[in-house]
Amino acid sequence: MAVSRTTLKSLYGVCGVVYRQPLLFPSSLKCASIQITRSKFERDYQRPGQPPDTRWPWQMINFDFSKGVESVRKHFGLLKDEFFQRWIGPEGKPIIEHMLEQTRVVWEFRGPESLNEWIVSSDQEIGGRSVAYVSLGKNNTTCLLYGTLSSTPPRDGETRYSGYCSMRSKPPKASFDRKKHYDWSSFNTLHLRIRGDGRPWMINVSAETYFSHQRDDIYSYFLYTRGGPYWQDVKIPFSKFFLSSRGRIQDSQHPLWLDKINTIGFTLGDKADGPFQLEIDFIGLNNDCAHTEEFAYELYKKNP
Amino acid sequence: MNPYVLMILMSSLGLGTTLTFSSSHWILAWMGLEINTLAIVPLMAQQHHPRAVEATTKYFLIQAAAAAMILFTSTTNAWISGQWDVTGMPGPATSTAMMFALALKIGLAPMHFWLPEVLQGLDLLTGLILSTWQKLAPMALIIQTTQTTDPLILTSLGIASSLIGGWSGLNQTQLRKILAYSSIAHMGWMIIVIQYAPQLTLIALGTYIFMTSAAFLTLKVLSATKINTLTTTWPKSPILAAIATLVMLSLGGLPPLTGFMPKWLILQELTKQDLPATATIMALTALLSLFFYLRLCHAMTLTTSPNTINSAPHWRVQTTQNSLPLTISVTVTMGLLPLTPAILMLTT
Repeated sequence: MAVSRTTLKSLYGVCGVVYRQPLLFPSSLKCASIQITRSKFERDYQRPGQPPDTRWPWQMINFDFSKGVESVRKHFGLLKDEFFQRWIGPEGKPIIEHMLEQTRVVWEFRGPESLNEWIVSSDQEIGGRSVAYVSLGKNNTTCLLYGTLSSTPPRDGETRYSGYCSMRSKPPKASFDRKKHYDWSSFNTLHLRIRGDGRPWMINVSAETYFSHQRDDIYSYFLYTRGGPYWQDVKIPFSKFFLSSRGRIQDSQHPLWLDKINTIGFTLGDKADGPFQLEIDFIGLNNDCAHTEEFAYELYKKNP
Repeated sequence: MNPYVLMILMSSLGLGTTLTFSSSHWILAWMGLEINTLAIVPLMAQQHHPRAVEATTKYFLIQAAAAAMILFTSTTNAWISGQWDVTGMPGPATSTAMMFALALKIGLAPMHFWLPEVLQGLDLLTGLILSTWQKLAPMALIIQTTQTTDPLILTSLGIASSLIGGWSGLNQTQLRKILAYSSIAHMGWMIIVIQYAPQLTLIALGTYIFMTSAAFLTLKVLSATKINTLTTTWPKSPILAAIATLVMLSLGGLPPLTGFMPKWLILQELTKQDLPATATIMALTALLSLFFYLRLCHAMTLTTSPNTINSAPHWRVQTTQNSLPLTISVTVTMGLLPLTPAILMLTT
């Protein structure tokens, strides 16, 4: 008799403690019913607003030659572009263009495919109740990040605080899913055109790191939105970004090096429950020659 | 940094190189290399920036691996041939392994992948020490071991380094990475002639050290780490903009500057040794490197930054940095070509 995963999920509450315990190595166990106990964090990314994927693992297999052909075409196309870009100049642009560049728009939301470059998440991953969604704004020219914040902590006995939503860009990938980085070293300011609802957001930029203990290193700064119908042009120099790791501001601060940037993200965690909304027109970079500050924090000599 | 600590580290750097220079036993030579590595590690990581620590870690791992290979190979050689002499490596296996270990030490292609990333993570002064002083000890060992190394390996290392150094440097916009690829290319030139005329390798190494010092010190005075910053050189120091152009052209090997001397003598020696194809390939690869040096000259002198400055250009800029090392290295970089016969006499 075919048993659906939703039926088994309802039995999960009945079967008791055995199935509630999180498993350290769920992939090593073959039993499909136990896989339901994998926490949201361990499963594949589920975009908020989408219905959960309740198919059995064998139903998720989609063996199709056309997919393979498409993948080969995509990756070899990227490889060919990388090869021929080198003949033009750095990053595929002539050097004169690189030297003259003073502004660059990195992300602008002009169609549904632009939303695929972003990952939206909320504290639902840890069992919270906030929800966040991303969609295109009016006339398909802006990105609208909206949802509801709820700072009720999950009742798991160990989480004390909750209530965050975030939107993060996907790290850039070269051909064959190799890591690539953004080189923003020609610029010194982040320029955003946004329209918020008065809430304070946090902009998080993550750069390439080497050690595993630096995995969660993020450079952050605040983004105060004004609310109301008017657009806001926000220019934040990169010298103002401070280093934090897993949400904790580090004592030893370092400036953000712009030659290997991976992702940028927006986080909301202002402990004010209720709906939120942030509309983004574009995210760009600017070279502000009047801004000469190299780093804003910890400039005194430590251990003199 | 605490001046006593700096003194200990600097003297250890000097000690390590001198120890390797003066040793005829492999263990002592290896010890000198290890002292060099350990002494420069705190200098590299003194900024405590994550990228500097990453560069330091990568450098240490690479140098330790190379030193371990050197130790292993010399021990194997001692086991086989019964002697620890630096010049005595009769077996092809041991001499090849030793050559690859030393090539890893100095960043010869194809063991060059660490050099650009490491140099990118460092400040300019430490990068200068890495590019110049840290090459001396391994080159001394290479010169002593080339007699027993397969000529094909040396030629391949030389051509590969020159090619890869030239090609990979073409699309770089970060100056430290450009100088790293320049270093790889110059090492290629040094290796290609080492089996025929080691004195030309010494001349090439000496001129390379002066030219690279001039380049690094110029960038330090300008606080420039990328090409875009070079476009603003002309209001800061017009004289330095002109002189730095000549330094770059000297690195590219153009007469009548000093950089032409090693390239000319090496091509002459290769031709005398009946290797016209190798000489042609090396000359052509020099064009690749010359392209990115010319690009730096173009950025410095033939372009105006898109942002106009609000003040009048400075006249007789007084710098607070010590300019004597820059002056000496620039003078040597520009004016030593007429002294070629004297330099040849000194080295033969």
